[in-house]
Amino acid sequence: MQALFVIMRAVSLLNERIGRLVSLLIIPIFAFLIFEIFVRYVSGSPLVWTGEATQLLFGIYAVLSGGYILLHREHVNVDLLFSRLSIRNRAIIDIFTSVLTFLFLGALVYFGSSLAYESIEFWERSQSAWNPPIWPAKLAIPVGAVLLLMQGIVKLIQDILTALDIEMPADLTLHDTAGGEK
Amino acid sequence: MSIGLLTVLFFLSLIVFLIAGLPLVFVLGGISIVFLYFTWGIESFYMVASQVWGSMNSFTLIAIPLFVYMAMILEKSGVAQALYRMMHLWWGGVRGGLAIGTVAICTLFAAMVGISGAAVVTMGTIALPAMFEQKYDKRMAIGCISAGGGLGILIPPSVLMILYSLITGASVGKMFAAGVIPGLMLALMICAYIFIRCWLQPEMGPALPIDQRGTWADKIEALRAVLLPMLIVTMVLGSIMLGIATPTEAAASGVLGALISAAVHRKLTWELVRESALRTFVLTGMIMWILFAAHSFSAAYQGMGATSLIQGLAAHIPGGPWGAIIVMQLVLLLLGMVLDPVGIMMITLPVFLPIITAYGFDPIWFGILFIINMEIGYQTPPFGFNLFYLKAIVPPNITMGDIYHSVTPYTLVLLLGLILVMLFPGLATWLPSIVL
Repeated sequence: MQALFVIMRAVSLLNERIGRLVSLLIIPIFAFLIFEIFVRYVSGSPLVWTGEATQLLFGIYAVLSGGYILLHREHVNVDLLFSRLSIRNRAIIDIFTSVLTFLFLGALVYFGSSLAYESIEFWERSQSAWNPPIWPAKLAIPVGAVLLLMQGIVKLIQDILTALDIEMPADLTLHDTAGGEK
Repeated sequence: MSIGLLTVLFFLSLIVFLIAGLPLVFVLGGISIVFLYFTWGIESFYMVASQVWGSMNSFTLIAIPLFVYMAMILEKSGVAQALYRMMHLWWGGVRGGLAIGTVAICTLFAAMVGISGAAVVTMGTIALPAMFEQKYDKRMAIGCISAGGGLGILIPPSVLMILYSLITGASVGKMFAAGVIPGLMLALMICAYIFIRCWLQPEMGPALPIDQRGTWADKIEALRAVLLPMLIVTMVLGSIMLGIATPTEAAASGVLGALISAAVHRKLTWELVRESALRTFVLTGMIMWILFAAHSFSAAYQGMGATSLIQGLAAHIPGGPWGAIIVMQLVLLLLGMVLDPVGIMMITLPVFLPIITAYGFDPIWFGILFIINMEIGYQTPPFGFNLFYLKAIVPPNITMGDIYHSVTPYTLVLLLGLILVMLFPGLATWLPSIVL
């Protein structure tokens, strides 16, 4: 059981670190766009790379967010009836509904991987004037899906242990975090 | 299985899993997987991944984190304090003046940022204690902040309008232009309600004592507070309306404006930049993941052939096209009570939009009705973001019940506005027709 807790903590820590790091990508996205406006104003002609660079950064930024958001329980849900249930009853319902979560993420991991694989096979580039590699952004799809899937599994284990009334260390115990109240 | 039965199952499972509290992204994603399997088999799941890639590649969507980031920085930039001081001096002498001033600041905020929460949180922390100190009625005071904050999504820029344009193919610039007149009209209607109510019942919002109203020198000096916000509004909206910049570039210049404002008010720290970035990440990521799943959801919905079925059903709604519009508004009002606007948009637009276009209505006009409806949804219990934001910042003696009651008159004002835009579509469609 202790080994399981160590793994659960490691997954959560990984998503926390990645989330904090990736959240800073908004700064280069912002800076590139401002730089582009500035250069266009001064020289009268647009830059070839800023549009695509911000695009690729944004894609990575968006798709890697899932795990961090699940870790902090910030994916929106309807908590109309849900918030009135005890934490244990909520955990039991979550175990059943998680089937849909794993169907979606399973498909995304599998077919996202094949999408990324096809791209990496020939180190795909965008074929534009600037022609940057776009395979890293495609690779981010299965990576983001796996991060979210792993956090989903951590959540499932937390739910199962809560449903069985098994004690967990304080940092892994489920709290009253019904959505919306933030 | 017949298409009718399949469609019923589709929406039934949607409702059941939503009520069971599963996050929307997994409900939409999981259900589309199940129904794609029945329609086209396992190979069609490849589409789920390629739809994600498609959403990652939309240049317009980059405007969303930038507008959110701008709002997060402005929220802590000290701009609102300066504005509030000005409103206090200029409007304090009028009955209900502080509440009217609060709505005016919310309107200005709405023209800078594209979300509803920023103005609610800032005005809730600045204006609410001041109004309580002046013995304003608590419901009057709380409600005006929620109603004013909601203008954020109707007065451009607006993150919801960007999403609406993305899904419907309407031009972002036209949507922005269409929101201006209805937004200002609603702001005026809210102010008029406060003014009349406090005129009739002075105890709801007493005028400031003479000695607190400030001298003319103070008043003129305080006007400086609008300079920075006006600069930002010009940078963001001006550049879009004049066609100089794309909405994404305009959003980036808005971030620059927000950073400058924070620097001028000596609030610009690395802490602010980082914390705002993290909150932006969560909000953007949440929207983007819903979008990833929603693309598959609408593909599954259309793939089943449900579009024509629902269109056929819509033809049976009494009252013809207008009956359909009214039923849609009622559905949106009900959904607004339990679900957030991005989710409502993803679920209803694939169903509503074909009906709207089939009846020959203007999608821009429908978009504005949709946004006003979502504004109401932001403040109708039990699930309304503005209510939760307010609960987090009000003093402990204010209960959730007080907050629920406070929005009632303001919700009626917003409903009246919705009906006006329905009856007079020109309110929404006139400006985009001459500007763009």
